[in-house]
Amino acid sequence: MSGPAGRTHRLAQPRRAQVESDPADGRPCTVGGRAVDTVRESWLIEDRWWNGSPVRRRYWEIVTTCGRNVVVFHDLRGGGWFVQR
Amino acid sequence: MIVCVLLPRFELTVAAGDREELLRTPAALAPSGPTTRDARVGEASPTAEAFGVRAGTPLGEALARCPSLTLVPPDPAGVADRWERLLVRLESIGAAVEPERPGLACFAARGLLRLHGGSLERVLTAARHALRQPARLGVGPSRFCALAAASRARVRRPVVVAGGEAEAAAYLAALPIALLCGRHETAGLSEPLERLGIATLGGLAALPRAAVADRFGAQGLLAYELARGRDGELAPRQPPERLVEELELPEALSGVQLDRALHLLVDRLLARRERRGRTLRTVVLSAVLVEGGTWRERVPFREALADPQRMRLALGQRLALLPAPAERLLLAVERFGPPASDQRSLLEEAAAVRRSRLREAVRQARAAAGPDAALRVLAVEAQSRVPERRVVLTPFE
Repeated sequence: MSGPAGRTHRLAQPRRAQVESDPADGRPCTVGGRAVDTVRESWLIEDRWWNGSPVRRRYWEIVTTCGRNVVVFHDLRGGGWFVQR
Repeated sequence: MIVCVLLPRFELTVAAGDREELLRTPAALAPSGPTTRDARVGEASPTAEAFGVRAGTPLGEALARCPSLTLVPPDPAGVADRWERLLVRLESIGAAVEPERPGLACFAARGLLRLHGGSLERVLTAARHALRQPARLGVGPSRFCALAAASRARVRRPVVVAGGEAEAAAYLAALPIALLCGRHETAGLSEPLERLGIATLGGLAALPRAAVADRFGAQGLLAYELARGRDGELAPRQPPERLVEELELPEALSGVQLDRALHLLVDRLLARRERRGRTLRTVVLSAVLVEGGTWRERVPFREALADPQRMRLALGQRLALLPAPAERLLLAVERFGPPASDQRSLLEEAAAVRRSRLREAVRQARAAAGPDAALRVLAVEAQSRVPERRVVLTPFE
């Protein structure tokens, strides 16, 4: 990055998360060492399939036992879990 | 690879000047502000450290631990000047340098390899020759790892940690947790972590991330990432233009006479050809004191200006803070503003006035706190299904 004019930062960048999931349905059981209390919502995103960097993610909005509302996703192409809020 | 240049006790060495024997006796930098109950000493010599006196020890406690402690008056102007010269020397070998604090700077070696014969050793040799004074050099995949390597290096024997994140984490694992003091963001963590029985960086890296976040918040997470061999990108500085005017004062001046000296300095600075009609955004007023030591005050103006009268008004108030009579007065430009052309419209609209005030406030915030002080959220793909593509942070204007 050079000088203020060329400086941009994307917001809501995904950060790698430690998630243990249920092998049967892929539902997260623990996030960052905290057990999942409730799964509020789940959705699938398939985007950019028309160019060279397609995105395929299964999102989960969950509430942990300590009361945190977290959105995590499983990268269905590259693998790995990420937190996005 | 990141190269870290470390000059231990830089501020104390500069303040001691040619009294090198001071560094072999118990000595520490005197508190810089007015002596109050919570005044703390600055950097301490190795002999003083043997008595348990460290930078930040309360003055009363330091004198109780080591009654023979010599207090050296701080020399902030000398430190800034000497540090600037060293940075310019490093930049002269082609390095894009990020200064962390006086005595500690980092630069990336990758872009310099071809310039200096293709090997890291030659880059390090070039840096050592450019500095022209003993310095510890460390190389690592991250800034923090390079700092850790530099703190273990000897003057003629740099420490190189090759590899990536995993190798950095392995190297850092056995090192003491006190290394976190090398970064100002994590300096306050080493003591509580030691009290909790975590003596090494490996011990910190082995903790669950969530537990560190719960106990220490964002600071703790940064320390955790550093201990695992990860660190942020380098943010090299823009080499500044150097424009200084100085005036020897024949005798200890005060009041009206000191104002006249300032008058002369401002006029001389504004008359310099190198200014090329530009306004001044931030200046540094410093003085060499009669009784030893120096005084330094950074003055960002409310708006970039080239009007000598307004400059004198702003600087005169700071000059009143001079702690002792001065024998030399210096005025340096730290940052220029745009060329002087403050043309205003005939009828000022309220919205336009508000906008210009806001713009001016942003400029002032940037002058005081750096270019990232004011950013705005810009929606680039607001309807995107991928959250990280929706908005970016960009400079305010």
